[in-house]
Amino acid sequence: MMLRIAIIGCGKIADQHLLAFRRIGGGEVVALCDRELLMANQLGERFGVTACFADAAEMLRVVKPDVVHITTPPQGHFSLGKQCLEAGAHVYLEKPFTVTAPEAVELIRLAQSKNLKITAGHNYQFTLEMLEVRRLVSQDFLGGKPVHLESHWPYDLSDASYVGPILGSQTHWVRQLPGQLFHNLISHGIAKLAEFLGDDVKVTAHAHQSARLKNLNGQEVQDELRVLLCDENGTTAFFCFSTQVKPGQNYLRICGPKNSLFVDNSSGCLIRQNNQASKSYLIFFLPPLRNARQHLHNARVNAFNFITGRLHQDSGMKELIERFHQSIKTNGAPPIPYREIILTARIMDEVFAQIKAPAK
Amino acid sequence: MLAASIVSLSDLILVTGSNGFIGASVVENLLARGFTNLRLFVRPSSKLEKLKAILRKYPAGQTAEIVKGDLLSREDCQSAARDVAVIIHLAAGFEKSFAGAFMNSALATRNLIEAFLELGRPTRFVNVSSFAVYSNLKMERHALLDETCPLEDAPQERHDAYGFGKLQQEKIVRQYGEKNGLPFVILRPGAVYGPGKPDLSGRVGINTFGFFIHLGGGNELPLTYVDNCAEAITLAALQPGVDGETFNVVDDEILTSREFLAARKSVKPFFSIWIPYPLAYLGSVLWENYSKKSGGQLPPVFNRRRCAAEWQGNRYTNKKLRERLGWKQKVPLAEALKSFLAQYQ
Repeated sequence: MMLRIAIIGCGKIADQHLLAFRRIGGGEVVALCDRELLMANQLGERFGVTACFADAAEMLRVVKPDVVHITTPPQGHFSLGKQCLEAGAHVYLEKPFTVTAPEAVELIRLAQSKNLKITAGHNYQFTLEMLEVRRLVSQDFLGGKPVHLESHWPYDLSDASYVGPILGSQTHWVRQLPGQLFHNLISHGIAKLAEFLGDDVKVTAHAHQSARLKNLNGQEVQDELRVLLCDENGTTAFFCFSTQVKPGQNYLRICGPKNSLFVDNSSGCLIRQNNQASKSYLIFFLPPLRNARQHLHNARVNAFNFITGRLHQDSGMKELIERFHQSIKTNGAPPIPYREIILTARIMDEVFAQIKAPAK
Repeated sequence: MLAASIVSLSDLILVTGSNGFIGASVVENLLARGFTNLRLFVRPSSKLEKLKAILRKYPAGQTAEIVKGDLLSREDCQSAARDVAVIIHLAAGFEKSFAGAFMNSALATRNLIEAFLELGRPTRFVNVSSFAVYSNLKMERHALLDETCPLEDAPQERHDAYGFGKLQQEKIVRQYGEKNGLPFVILRPGAVYGPGKPDLSGRVGINTFGFFIHLGGGNELPLTYVDNCAEAITLAALQPGVDGETFNVVDDEILTSREFLAARKSVKPFFSIWIPYPLAYLGSVLWENYSKKSGGQLPPVFNRRRCAAEWQGNRYTNKKLRERLGWKQKVPLAEALKSFLAQYQ
């Protein structure tokens, strides 16, 4: 079955979706849509798609796609997602899924009521090392439920092409989000925690503006965030978003009652931390050697995956899209459980309520 | 002042990107010519010390209007273009993504032109483009590059978002010229150098792998010193009888890549390796083929089109610039180079 795919929102991220479709196969891009028709045209010109629209309703009516990938700023996700579902199309929504958790709940209910699939662009949960984490956790490597989790997510303020326009305009769409800069960037890091947490999560959040951002005339925008989480089972979690920590830390630590896992998402490395005691002074020699062996193993695995073409800069997105499209074709379970999408949105809502930025 | 000019000294002139590397020099050029009614468009986050220092040097600079805004906002464009006779459009965003480059170049230009046509007194729209729009793929090595040479027809294959944005920007300007009678001039500067821009042109080489790879070898560089380039841009805004024309901007006195690199190293030496063109071309072919075969596992940052455009080598001419705009090189090479190199000391 060839899926007929449409994209709404022809900005930067749309390119990555189109490149992923090319690699996956099994689908044909039948339409591109952007409120600014020139944006749709430029993307169409580069990827050989001729059906370009400025109006989503018209696109849905004329083209009748099987699945729509919505890659607009998040403020449009809810209404566009609803429109697509009501027109009978499955929906892939880029992150953050919606602006608020109630919107996420409503969209998912609508999808379920129409027997359609919907997913969130939490592609970092589908990188090669994260797939391996999931496999190990499902095989009870941790020895029970996680006791504690840590997720670090970095952002580099020196990427002026992103930060410049945000700081340059109070009306920039990122500035209009309840959580501003955090809102557009933290969902990947929070979603990695939501996967391992229960539904009832208590949240304590703290945010502030770094001296660097202040120097860049950051006005009311905050860029340092710390969050403590605790679920109904007593599993705790810590989330850190930072623009200042160098080198940028992008990792997930999952501590279990028996063993633990450390995933460095920057370098695609997974370290198994086994509960192996060493006698006397051997504790100073054996654990470092075991870790060295694991790092060597990671380098070997990454080299092998690179040579065989599995390791790709966008391998997480390709994997997520492929699984989502497969779930549509087979009417199987969507790649990200709806519970996780809603929990991620709820945690974010609570974080933004607690850190409320000073009045604009 | 020119013997003939399409505008008077009191006509309102809008300069976008006026706080930028070339823009500030254009502002100074206009003030030095006695223009008294300037509107200077800058980004809200811009630090304006350099621009304000220039404005303080001239009486008319004190009354120049600084407008902060975003060219992607139609309202901001309307505020900027109201009652304007001439627009010198220099604003450029350096975006890695094609969509971002398109937005910052083409969409911003569309917004500005529409506001100009609606609310301005359209006398001249000067669109500052780039040599990045040219393709060199089917030209001989060291062929003469002038305004009639072929433009890049596959910027995506060249992996050049900036060039793509500039091509689309030129396309929009021409469309408005044809359909709406926009009086425009397009300028394509070569490699602009001067104080305030320490990075060497990619035509000299790249620093991608942690050390400098010199790829330009004995090629001529299309150098233009920032003040000489600003002179060309100002003339394009004023000179009658050049509507619809395109001009390449290069200085009379230029250097080879090797000479330019040696001058740069004479101030502060650094390690570099020279790769001859055939080897660079072979590497680009291999990289491009692997990138295609692997579905973009390696982005096609090195490819035949880029290699040809940047390192194959051309000869350059400013004949049209001199003859039609009456441009003369204001700053001689020795002085320009001295000023450029001073920033490393």
